[in-house]
Amino acid sequence: MKVFLRPLLGVWLLVLSATIAGAEDRPRIVAVNYPLQYFAERLLDDTAEVLMPVPADVDPSFWRPSIADISMIQSADLILLNGAGFATWVDRVSLPRSKLTNTAKAFEDQFIVTESITHSHGDGGEHSHEGLASYTWLDPLLASMQAEAVADAIISRGLADAQSVNARLATLQADLAALDQQARASLAGLQGVAMIATHPRYQYLAQRYNLSIISLEWEAGVTPNEAQIADLRALVADSGARVLIWEAAPPAEAREVASGLGLQNVVFSPLAHGPEENDFVGLFSRSLALMSDVSLR
Amino acid sequence: MDGTVIRSAALASLLIAAPMVAEAHQLVVFASVDCEAVTVEAKFSNGNPVQQADVRVLDGQNALLVTLPIETDGTVTVPLDSVDHSEGLLIEVDTGSHDNYWIVTPDDIARNCQS
Repeated sequence: MKVFLRPLLGVWLLVLSATIAGAEDRPRIVAVNYPLQYFAERLLDDTAEVLMPVPADVDPSFWRPSIADISMIQSADLILLNGAGFATWVDRVSLPRSKLTNTAKAFEDQFIVTESITHSHGDGGEHSHEGLASYTWLDPLLASMQAEAVADAIISRGLADAQSVNARLATLQADLAALDQQARASLAGLQGVAMIATHPRYQYLAQRYNLSIISLEWEAGVTPNEAQIADLRALVADSGARVLIWEAAPPAEAREVASGLGLQNVVFSPLAHGPEENDFVGLFSRSLALMSDVSLR
Repeated sequence: MDGTVIRSAALASLLIAAPMVAEAHQLVVFASVDCEAVTVEAKFSNGNPVQQADVRVLDGQNALLVTLPIETDGTVTVPLDSVDHSEGLLIEVDTGSHDNYWIVTPDDIARNCQS
């Protein structure tokens, strides 16, 4: 038996080392959010390692990486940035410029300025900081432009065959165009309907499809407290809102609170993180279908 | 990436949003490193240097190595031989009402020490 085991072990070790070497030879792409990771994976079709290093329970917009995280990111072959101020950590580290791609650079003139929370502190009265809405991918047409920027970055750095990438880009952009068509049909009935969102995520969706969405600052998946419920009641009375958009499935109690105020609940995942089931296009499509269902009631 | 490039990158990224900033209260922190020291610079988004703040230096395990007061010109220098920088350094600037940070990796130190 030992006569056979030694050669078998040798073959196994050879296969293992070849597998490891192959994995190490693959380009490494790092994305600041799930949509960019998804686009890169679609374009590269497993010919590269595509990472989105933010833990599942952390908002990618405000993730604070460790030194080790940044060391890994610095070693990547390509770093995909969302632009519009997404991922605050990007401005707090040194990243090699040659590896960076700002995927929203082509449409910076379409950025939406937002008003952040008013606050005060020792050096003055109340004030607020303006910023930029950053969930650009919830507009499928902007997402398509970001996908194209990812493709250009991959090709210009020689990370994959240009012909293959462009072919996959065409397929991906066809899927995003289909989302746009579905959104136009699904959301047409909601134009003129006042809606409230539990978090300011949907500005680009609203802009593209002429929706009226007022945003709260609730935590995802948490039952609102008494003060928040009172604010919501006042907002409903003031705006006549009929729909409450949740970024994650709320507790049953929270849904009942909203229903009690005459609001129809709908969950529309903002997709900053990858879903447990489905993928970017699938879940985006499902969210649009849920919105369409609300408009028909 | 040397200190000048780091500073330019930080300011350039801020300038994209600067026209949108209504009030000048955002704290911007960046750090440059060479073979001898990490130089930390902290300014408000209107360009005014931070004049009062604690600068905390932490190691790769988030253990606090040293806390230094910032100088009136908004800078502080951390000699590399005074801290264990083998796993990089996390620089935190805290004015009491605003805080921000900058990460220095071992590669940042090695690269800038060679240049």
